[in-house]
Amino acid sequence: MSAPETTDFEREFESLVRDLRAMPNEAPDELRSRVRELGEPVSARRLGGFFARRSLLVLAPACLLALVGAAIVHGLLSSSGSPRQAVSAEHVRGALRSRAGGATHARGRAPLAPAPARVQDYQASLRIRVEDLDALSTGTSDAMRVTRRLGGYVASVEYATPAGGPGEADLMLRVPVAHVQDALLQLAGLGAVVEQHVSIRDLQQLVQRQRKQIFDLRLFVARATKTLENPSLPADVRLRLELQLEDAKRSLAAATGRNATTLRQASLSRISLSLTTQKTLAAVTKHHDSRALRAIRGAGDFLASAGAIALYVLIVLSPLVLLLVAWLYGLRVYRRREERRLLAQG
Amino acid sequence: MNAASTSLPGLRLDRPSFAAVAEAELDAVHRYLLFLTADRAAAEDLTADTFEKAFRSWRRYDPRRASPRTWLCQIARTTALDHFRAEERRRRREERYARDMPANEEQSPGEGLLERALGELTPAEREVVALRVLLELDGPVTARLLGISPTACSTRLSRALKRLEETMTDVRA
Repeated sequence: MSAPETTDFEREFESLVRDLRAMPNEAPDELRSRVRELGEPVSARRLGGFFARRSLLVLAPACLLALVGAAIVHGLLSSSGSPRQAVSAEHVRGALRSRAGGATHARGRAPLAPAPARVQDYQASLRIRVEDLDALSTGTSDAMRVTRRLGGYVASVEYATPAGGPGEADLMLRVPVAHVQDALLQLAGLGAVVEQHVSIRDLQQLVQRQRKQIFDLRLFVARATKTLENPSLPADVRLRLELQLEDAKRSLAAATGRNATTLRQASLSRISLSLTTQKTLAAVTKHHDSRALRAIRGAGDFLASAGAIALYVLIVLSPLVLLLVAWLYGLRVYRRREERRLLAQG
Repeated sequence: MNAASTSLPGLRLDRPSFAAVAEAELDAVHRYLLFLTADRAAAEDLTADTFEKAFRSWRRYDPRRASPRTWLCQIARTTALDHFRAEERRRRREERYARDMPANEEQSPGEGLLERALGELTPAEREVVALRVLLELDGPVTARLLGISPTACSTRLSRALKRLEETMTDVRA
């Protein structure tokens, strides 16, 4: 209560205020009895209202907690699901992943074998951990020897032993497809297999198309040659046929070359071999960490998705909300103005 | 339930009963509406309407936010404004169909000198006088109820009382 102001008007208009307060303005008895008849409202509804308001206060943080909880559960589930998927993918690819001391394990599991009756492009990559630099050197030599013994050759070798860092040897090996499985098993025995990837691309249909094309071209060449032997052939027809024969011979040579390349490609597999002295401990730690990280990443992704949805909804709804706010504001201003007008005129 | 207050253990609510509030504030609300409308019959009807509305919305009343008198006056004001709007619509309708009929004279809250002088004020002026002088609500509460600033409320009261005093002087003269 603003005491000075009250005192002011009561002092300034003392007599008037006294007269106003003395005016007989009591409610008539009839009105009083009407109001008394109303009685007392049921108080239980008040209790409901009280709890409804309290529940609204609790609802927002509860929703937030539920969202975070859902994100954590999603993260945990997705992190535990990933290794199963990896195993499945591993099974399909026939990869030889080893956790530690994988050499013996790797020997026990055979990589995917090429289908002998079909023409296939076989590619494999192997990452193998060896104990030290001596083992790296020996392993590199052994890999080259194994390749040559199986009828293949070494396309490239990179060998590096940087000071303070792990030694690395990268080899590109070409091994006959018939011996690729044997080669992979022997190469896996050089150390612990950290990672292996096998890719097989079927070339059978391509080879069949090429063979059909070669057959058709040979047939045409034979027929054209036979036709040209006829001395009564008109000059213009002869000329056109000779040109077509030249084209067909060129196409035949190209098709034969392509076919030979495809068959050569299919006969030799490509093996990319990486030997490293990097300790497995890091990889193992990474593996354990990666599950926790996956869980966190999964939860983060979930929250990000929820945020994106919320943002999308906000962007879509914001013009409507703005319109609603503007409409409510306008309505309020209009009602205020109307009130002033009504109370000014009576 | 009589004048006892409603208390819910553990919820820290201490509410007076509706009947007790109605008994205590009936005269104040009636006085306010009588000043605002300057019409005794309308004031009585609006007072009854106000208490019926208050009865229906009693569960929403929060004693921590406003005193029962302020809350009832807010309802009374809304009810009176609705009444004014309805009256205005009725007047317009009647003017459209019976232009020749004499307009109703606005009544004063009573028959005396002061009552006649009050009749000269606008409803807004009578309203602030009723709230501040008769119901003795303080400045900020009255300002909030009227939807104006405390300064504007104070100015309006001062102007109304001055005008009332001048009108009474004129009438006496």
